[in-house]
Amino acid sequence: MIKPDRRLILNFDWTLLILVLLLCGIGLFNIYSAGFSLAETHRVPPYVKQIQWILIGIAGMAAAFFIDYRFLFRHAYIFYGVSILLLLVVFMAGYSTRGSQRWIAIGSFTFQPSELVKLTVILALARYFNRHRLGTDYTLRKLFVPFTIVLIPFAFILKQPDLGTGLILLILFLSIVLFVGLEWKSILIATISALLMSPIFWYFLKPYQQERILTFFSPDRDPLGSGYHIIQSMIAVGSGGLFGKGFLKGSQTQLKFLPEQQTDFVFSVFAEEWGFLGGMILIILFMSLILWGFKIAIHAKDYLGALVAFGITILIFWELFINMGMVLGILPVVGIPLPFLSYGGSSLVVLMVAVGLLMNISVRRYILQS
Amino acid sequence: MQLRHDRLNEYESGQFKAKFRLLFIIIIAATMLIVMRMWYLQVIKGDELRQRSENNSVRLRKIKSMRGLIMDTRRQVLVDNQPSFDLVFVPNRSRDIANIIDKVKTLYEERSLAIPSLGSFTGKMKPLVPVTLEKNIGMEKLAVVETHALELPGLVAEVTPIRQYLKGEMTAQIIGFTGEISREELDQEREEPLTPGDIIGKFGIEKFLDGHLRGKNGAEQIEVNAAGKAVRSLGKIKSLTGGNVVLTIDSALQEVAWGAIGNRRGALAAMDPRNGAVLALVSSPSFDPNLFNSGISFGDWERLANDRQHPMENRSISGQYPPASTYKPVVAAAALEEGLITPETTFYCNGTFQMGDRIFRCWLERGHGHVNLHRGIVESCDVYFYNLGAKLGVDKIAAYARAFGLGSPLGIDLTRERSGLIPTRQWKLDRYGEPWQMGETISLSIGQGFNLVTPLQLVNAYATLANGGTLYRPRLVKQLESSDGLVIKVYGPEKIKTLPVSPRNIRIINQALWGVVNEKGGTGHVLKRKEADVAGKTGTAQVIGLPQDDRARKARRASADFKDHALFACFAPHAKPEIAVAVILEHAGGGGAVAAPVARKFIDAYFDRLKAVQPDPQENEATGEEKKEP
Repeated sequence: MIKPDRRLILNFDWTLLILVLLLCGIGLFNIYSAGFSLAETHRVPPYVKQIQWILIGIAGMAAAFFIDYRFLFRHAYIFYGVSILLLLVVFMAGYSTRGSQRWIAIGSFTFQPSELVKLTVILALARYFNRHRLGTDYTLRKLFVPFTIVLIPFAFILKQPDLGTGLILLILFLSIVLFVGLEWKSILIATISALLMSPIFWYFLKPYQQERILTFFSPDRDPLGSGYHIIQSMIAVGSGGLFGKGFLKGSQTQLKFLPEQQTDFVFSVFAEEWGFLGGMILIILFMSLILWGFKIAIHAKDYLGALVAFGITILIFWELFINMGMVLGILPVVGIPLPFLSYGGSSLVVLMVAVGLLMNISVRRYILQS
Repeated sequence: MQLRHDRLNEYESGQFKAKFRLLFIIIIAATMLIVMRMWYLQVIKGDELRQRSENNSVRLRKIKSMRGLIMDTRRQVLVDNQPSFDLVFVPNRSRDIANIIDKVKTLYEERSLAIPSLGSFTGKMKPLVPVTLEKNIGMEKLAVVETHALELPGLVAEVTPIRQYLKGEMTAQIIGFTGEISREELDQEREEPLTPGDIIGKFGIEKFLDGHLRGKNGAEQIEVNAAGKAVRSLGKIKSLTGGNVVLTIDSALQEVAWGAIGNRRGALAAMDPRNGAVLALVSSPSFDPNLFNSGISFGDWERLANDRQHPMENRSISGQYPPASTYKPVVAAAALEEGLITPETTFYCNGTFQMGDRIFRCWLERGHGHVNLHRGIVESCDVYFYNLGAKLGVDKIAAYARAFGLGSPLGIDLTRERSGLIPTRQWKLDRYGEPWQMGETISLSIGQGFNLVTPLQLVNAYATLANGGTLYRPRLVKQLESSDGLVIKVYGPEKIKTLPVSPRNIRIINQALWGVVNEKGGTGHVLKRKEADVAGKTGTAQVIGLPQDDRARKARRASADFKDHALFACFAPHAKPEIAVAVILEHAGGGGAVAAPVARKFIDAYFDRLKAVQPDPQENEATGEEKKEP
């Protein structure tokens, strides 16, 4: 399975590795700053834990790189099944805080299977679409099975409840479907029926669920929660100005005005301390990573590899866009972490494994060629 | 070959290129959006936002909602709200809470005001999230704090509505009380998310209907100055007052029942047999729910929790007692319905009944002689019922008892309702691993032994006899209203099931119950009254088995802790019943002598009140018409 192959080293994708390590490094410094003032509340400082997670992530990345990815893809449904089982475990015996049950606790570490599901869904969808290649665009009826693949974890995740991750799964599915090709007629029918169905769907919701969705669209409805957070976040970002306040000098951050400042709102910490210029550098790094990912997808010599590379890249893009949009107050607040920068092991390790796969696909186009 | 198959074909290659071109445009557009937004916030608005971050002083104040009112069936208010002031510390730039606490203490000391334990705060502090230092400060303290506002940065007096329980102890177990949400309660899934510091119902109706009563907190963004005081309001969402609750309870009757029980331990439950509306539900001793208003003190809590008389227990729904002779109508109904006896069947009572080598006594030592069903109930002849029990067997008795609603919770609108206990052969095998003894059936047939009922179950069983065989769910809530009095939901009668006893047999039993009160020799003779014929049954429950030996029996009966429980269950008027009452007094003595007079006072009050207040409120119940107390 793992045979040392000189070509793996010769054609190694250094660009990808350097981009990811840069992002992780920036994330680490940022978490150090964000957690600086919170030091008294943690036994182990968050940045130390984050270092542990990065190391685990690197190991995962290496494993994903050295294994022949076709072996991984052949067992895509098994990985998918296991991740669904983990969701089931969360449902039955998960660890819950503040009314949502998302984690499995293993010793002092907690793991969030819904992060893993993002990757296994990409693998399962890629495998399905690879097997059922039509040579033409898909119609709605032919999308029944892949839709079910997404719907099962989607239902579990909504139940937790975790609206953000659920939405990411749906967006991921739509992106991949548009990528493999969908008839114009089907796109039209799907859009119209979704619009028509939404009022009916609305009736089935309980009043509090309706309220949640309304809050989702206009945060003003919930001034005690997300509305206040957005204001504080926007003040933090804006006060950073062109050059930022400097490392460990963000007053919003250090005075703990920011909500979730190590996890979902890390970008406001970064933007406060490093300003518009720092933000630009971060965005350029992310864009390089995303465009590099697409380059890998375009140049992949097999359909499966292209699909997986596309899926992983578009996942990173959507998470980035939604997270930044939320921090900057142009999108509603849903719990989506910033890839590689947010504190939290599950998201980071899964993303690093995904990047390992990208490297794998990248390097193997040379191997497959011969 | 798998490998070949995986290669991209021409069609796909062409598709990919076109799609990536489109994708590239979308991604660049999305990124531009983010970049432009950052430019707007950081460069165009940068200076302004930097200033705001430097004196970040927009504080979010929670506006606590008022809970709805709780009224009795005649719309007399039982629970009201009152504004109170809490002393809170709002951490901003200055977070030196210890210093502030010291200053406040000194101010209090100078004026010799009571000093609470202000210094106990040790938790995390978040900016602008208030920490409560002292609840419900009086006017004097409020004046002190307000006049020294400038020396006390961050200290604010916040208005908090608190509950006022106007009827105090008398309705405490029904209405319950509220308190600050606990950590466990915060973690529960609920429709409206709650936050620390919110007030929720903890007990009784306050808990049972918390969602309706609670209302919704509002919020206000206020700009605060350096001292943490509000300068101006930047935006406000009003709080919503919770909905009102109208109970079926008549507080005037509740008061009579409370007074009639006095300082004895016991319970009274009264309901309308025509629809299951509970008119009074008293449990004594009780507690003062107003103690919980501003957070109960540790000393008060200890006293309540450790009181051996259990004042917090609602005996009328959680107290489980042997039904004693009040159980006899159930056994009689079973025997009649099973065709084992007719009303004319007689048994001979010589004062004892032998089963195997055990002797069971009738309460009347010299015996009742030849006894038929009517006399058996009127004079409460134990031997007569020993005979019925022997004929029926435990499982048949249990089946009828369950049909009367005994042995399982009835589903009243309160938490902590207990189920009582109706034993069967199987139950004993499961519980003790021992087979049922015939002698146990004999004890059972006069309501002793394993049998346990709650006062609510007892009154409900008699109400079922009174209305001719319909078992209603006992209801405490008459209607729910919005805070401005619009009716949201009206609760009508809810039938649980029908008694499997023929109307004729029910009439026979009810006639005998009438005899208990109205015939010479009846055990409930105290209740005989002209205005309304009462039908009922006395009961005297032995607390523990009495020794066989006569002298030991008398000695045991005399000591207070082993004194019998007194029971009385009845309904009135006999011809057209409109009220059913059950009374249980713990360790008080004989049912006829002790419990019946309590029921008597209650029934008198009921009919006096009917005369005084017209029209009859019960008739309007189903229509849900609004009536305002003048």
